[in-house]
Amino acid sequence: MTRSKAGLTAVAMTAVVGLVLTGCAQQSNQGVPGGDAAAQPAVGFPETEDFPETPGKPGGVFRLGISEPTAIDPFNAQESEGIGVTEALFTGLVQVEPDGEVVPGAATDWSANADCSVWTFNLAQGATFHNGEPVDAASFKRGWERAAAPESGSEVSYHLDVIQGYTEYQAGTATEITGVNATNPAQIAVTLAKPDCEYELRTNHPVYSPVPTVVGATTDTAYTDAPIGNGPFKLDGPWQHDTGIKLTRFDEYSVGEPAYLDGAEFTILPSANAAQLEYDGFVNGQFDWARMPPTLLKLARETYEPQGKWLSKIANGMNYLTVAGTKAPMDSADARKAVSLAIDRNAIVQGVLQGSTTPASSLVPSLFPDAYQKDVCGACRYDVEEAKRLAASAGLVPGTELSFQFNTGGGHEEWTAAVRQQLETNLGLKVTYTGLPFTDLLNNQGAPEATGIFRSAWGADYPTPGNFLIPLLATSSIGATPTEPVTGNNYGRYSNPEFDEFVLKASASQDEAERNELWKQAEKIAIGDDQALIPLWARQQFRLVATDKFANTNMNFNENPTLETITLK
Amino acid sequence: MTTLPPPTGGAPTETTDVVGPTRSPASPPTAAVPPKSRRPTGQFRDVWRRYRRNKLALIGLGIVGLLVFLAIFEPFLTPYSPFEQNLLNTTAPPGNGHVFGTDVLGRDMLSAVIYGAKLAVIVGVVTVLASLLVGVTLGAIAGFAGGAIDAVIARVTDTFLAFPLLIGAILIVRTFGAGILPVIVALAIFGWTTAARLMRGQTLALRENEYVEAARSIGATNSRILTRHILPNAIAPVLVYSFTSIGVVVVAMASLSYLGVGVPADIPEWGRMISQANAFLRVPGKSHLWVFPSLAIVLTTLGFAFVADGLRDALDPKLRGRD
Amino acid sequence: MGKFILRRAAQALLVIIGATLLVFLANFAFGDPFGSTGDRQVPPAIAAANRAAFGLDQPLPLQYLTYMGNLFTGDLGVDYNQNRPVIELLIETVPNTARLALVAIVIDIFIGVTAGIIAAVKRYSFADVLVTVVSTLAIGIPTFVIGFVLVATLSGVGPFPTVPRSFTVEVPWYTEVLLPAFALAIVDAAFVARLMRGSMLEVLRSDYIRTARAKGLSERKVIGKHALRNSMIPVITYIGVSLGGLLGGAIITEGIFQYPGVGYLLFRAIGANNAPVITAVVIFSVLAIVVLSLIVDILYAYLDPRIRLS
Repeated sequence: MTRSKAGLTAVAMTAVVGLVLTGCAQQSNQGVPGGDAAAQPAVGFPETEDFPETPGKPGGVFRLGISEPTAIDPFNAQESEGIGVTEALFTGLVQVEPDGEVVPGAATDWSANADCSVWTFNLAQGATFHNGEPVDAASFKRGWERAAAPESGSEVSYHLDVIQGYTEYQAGTATEITGVNATNPAQIAVTLAKPDCEYELRTNHPVYSPVPTVVGATTDTAYTDAPIGNGPFKLDGPWQHDTGIKLTRFDEYSVGEPAYLDGAEFTILPSANAAQLEYDGFVNGQFDWARMPPTLLKLARETYEPQGKWLSKIANGMNYLTVAGTKAPMDSADARKAVSLAIDRNAIVQGVLQGSTTPASSLVPSLFPDAYQKDVCGACRYDVEEAKRLAASAGLVPGTELSFQFNTGGGHEEWTAAVRQQLETNLGLKVTYTGLPFTDLLNNQGAPEATGIFRSAWGADYPTPGNFLIPLLATSSIGATPTEPVTGNNYGRYSNPEFDEFVLKASASQDEAERNELWKQAEKIAIGDDQALIPLWARQQFRLVATDKFANTNMNFNENPTLETITLK
Repeated sequence: MTTLPPPTGGAPTETTDVVGPTRSPASPPTAAVPPKSRRPTGQFRDVWRRYRRNKLALIGLGIVGLLVFLAIFEPFLTPYSPFEQNLLNTTAPPGNGHVFGTDVLGRDMLSAVIYGAKLAVIVGVVTVLASLLVGVTLGAIAGFAGGAIDAVIARVTDTFLAFPLLIGAILIVRTFGAGILPVIVALAIFGWTTAARLMRGQTLALRENEYVEAARSIGATNSRILTRHILPNAIAPVLVYSFTSIGVVVVAMASLSYLGVGVPADIPEWGRMISQANAFLRVPGKSHLWVFPSLAIVLTTLGFAFVADGLRDALDPKLRGRD
Repeated sequence: MGKFILRRAAQALLVIIGATLLVFLANFAFGDPFGSTGDRQVPPAIAAANRAAFGLDQPLPLQYLTYMGNLFTGDLGVDYNQNRPVIELLIETVPNTARLALVAIVIDIFIGVTAGIIAAVKRYSFADVLVTVVSTLAIGIPTFVIGFVLVATLSGVGPFPTVPRSFTVEVPWYTEVLLPAFALAIVDAAFVARLMRGSMLEVLRSDYIRTARAKGLSERKVIGKHALRNSMIPVITYIGVSLGGLLGGAIITEGIFQYPGVGYLLFRAIGANNAPVITAVVIFSVLAIVVLSLIVDILYAYLDPRIRLS
């Protein structure tokens, strides 16, 4: 008896409580705490000045953390960690200063013929490899052919593909790359199959490094773990996989000034949480140069900027959304602009990305002051009314399905979730939101039946606006018919003959000012008028640097520390 | 492998970091709970009476009750929507209208924790139910049939037992994509083994009892014997174990989320919240990001473990001590 | 006894084969390791060549048979990234994990058994409640939380090495192993304590203990000589299995402490979709668990004739 009565009471109580609570509405979770959101706060962290040049003195070991590189041998060095080691071990024909200026490297000077199809590089005399061998034209040709050989397994040899004879050599039908003339040891002459007036920039890529006569085969892991180079640093022991790489100064370096540092230590951290570990390592004094996870940027800046240890720089890349522009619903410029206008970049940068970048209003980044056009992307601001208007006129009505894909494991879950929410709230779209492994994402993007938008990022290989516009937007970069998967990098399949004409003219121009003008016109067509892709925010890099111990610690074009100039204070 | 009488102490576990169900420790076979001759209601009352005397068990029941309440009434209890992000107010400490503060996406932590309770209860209960279903069936069949069938089932059980839970779960989620269902499937697939072993041990012990012989002698079929006689009496330790394993499943789900494999990132789940707070561990003033979800996990496990302990003590008269 | 061992060993072998089949089948779930590098897609021809070099273009059953065949000759394949034989990777890391496992078990036994005995002997006392509550609490805290807190508070403090640290910093193995072993041992000790307590309680109520007391033996002798030995049996069983699991490598803990063991190897391999390494580590871990369970089974059968004869 007591039992059932207790039971009934319990049920009744629950019902009452439930009814009472239903009456309580849920609060709204919007708005800036303690203030109104009318004033849009300034977004992004400003860039820091380059560290002042300090006269150097020998000594010191510079320590940093990286994730395991794919390769440090130039035949296959590809991501910035691998390149960071390779560029310390090897010096190519030219070098690029942190501000993008091209200066002599192993080549003292260079010139091209009238139509930029033949390039001649004069080599510095007396330079040697770490093992004492002289560096001459044959060393370069040897290195290029080693990477381009069909059995090399190189994933970056395509940087050499503009050289005449490369295709035949790669296919195995030729025994050398005929376009490279190394008969004169002091001079290397390159004939190009595709004329390129900015070719010298390409030679900055590590795959263009010279190699000594004792170079091992690319499958010889004993060699590729300890390659012999001609750069300001040499290896102190082989690469200890998943553990670390130790470099020491090459005292006989003659191409430029010898380095000041006694050596450098790269500790290899697991890629899953490398950024976090680098930061922790900096905080506990183990590392002198560190990245940090985006969530800690604000705190890191507040802590270390007053100490002068904060580095902030806009880098050579861009974060954007690829748009499948040949298929519904994104097959009209208005639809693409509507989506772009419906994304509140400021809020995402400020909130999710902790202010760690600057909202973009162009494709070509501000790193190229003479070609940069702020606001060339008119739709890169936040205007919900305009977005709705354009969406209506484009037939992008509420309820339309839009596919949005991104790659997992890159820390993009949160901001993509925010974008999705904005699109659903502002335009009423039904967003099918999917996270995939990176390779699958690329496959989906390039598939003939691809629709919708995809998270993308581009890191340029060469310091020129052309390396944004051409690979991403030129018709030649699709490399497939509409029924085949894309083989180039123009995943959106954007094709505009007017645009193609402008970039072609720019590539063929020897005059830098004229080139920049043409890049600008091309960008205006593709981004301003056609909205071929949706720029989101700049690629901005932040580092913590132990400036209390070291000076001249700048970040180079490949986002690595300038080891050759760093010195103890 | 060995015959498995019921566990007499603590919950068995696997000691990779993800605490998962594994083989129970063996101990001298205690008698199975003798069949009651009274009707079921009397039995329950007895058990309840013994259970009530255990303070910790009551506390545990309270906690479990609270969790179930939160899970059922979650839509009414959350002050904000647990999914609503406010990107201008991320990682705010408690105060300003947010009792537990906000998380890395600006979602209200209290609402997120409550939603996490709902997720924990659902995933925990469903996973354990699924494991029970498979495990009890297979274990009973193995124990009862014996011989070749037993050997095959035992080998299959061992294979799944030996396979590391974390790897298996990662493989399944990678194959089927992220989502609540793949997580449940992954945890259940590697969780049924201990229930099976327990059931098998119990069945083996009870198979030789007199009432089974008696039932057989009056012509009861095997399945009738299994369901009517053996199952009700064998189920007790399995049930006890299941309660503990609900807590274990919650921890396992959190560990999967920590590794990035688990429920999708935009769903508030305790383990995911802790892993998102990882970056802020050494930052002062941000401990609310991981303290609340951690407390939630600990409380949940405690609650279910206390209930399991109390149930075990209440069901097995021998362990009551001198009362 | 010999027949028992043989029977069990044969069954263990079957289990190992079954588990390797499982993991091999699941390999395709890890996606194509050669398709892309960071932000760029690898030219398809080169990706295909790399795949062929690793035999990935063969049909799956053929791959499995080749792999199993190689397994018997000790060839575990070559990892995708560095072309290093996987067996070498294992040889480097297994001793570290073994040390970690053993130290963890020692801490485990020490804390867990002692706590369990105290709780059982002084039943219903404050000590008993304390042990029960703390052990249940410890089970509820996910190991990675314990790991984080330890790293956040104790890294670099006193004898404990700094985490993370530059790879050139030399750290003696006995300090490197302490924190991760402790993190692992806490949860395990909780289980051992509960197990010990329950087992001891049961034993203390049995007839032969009553006889021993009636004979006039001191309480210390009763507990130390008679009760302990018999109540340790389930604990030993549990610890054996636990050791097997630990030998398989504690992925998260080793990752948090950057401890160069098998779990760390697996952690990195999963991130890189490095199937040969994943397969090898899983097989090793299955092997460890199965072998240790086998040893425990044999030990137990030796101690308890009833099991042997079943």
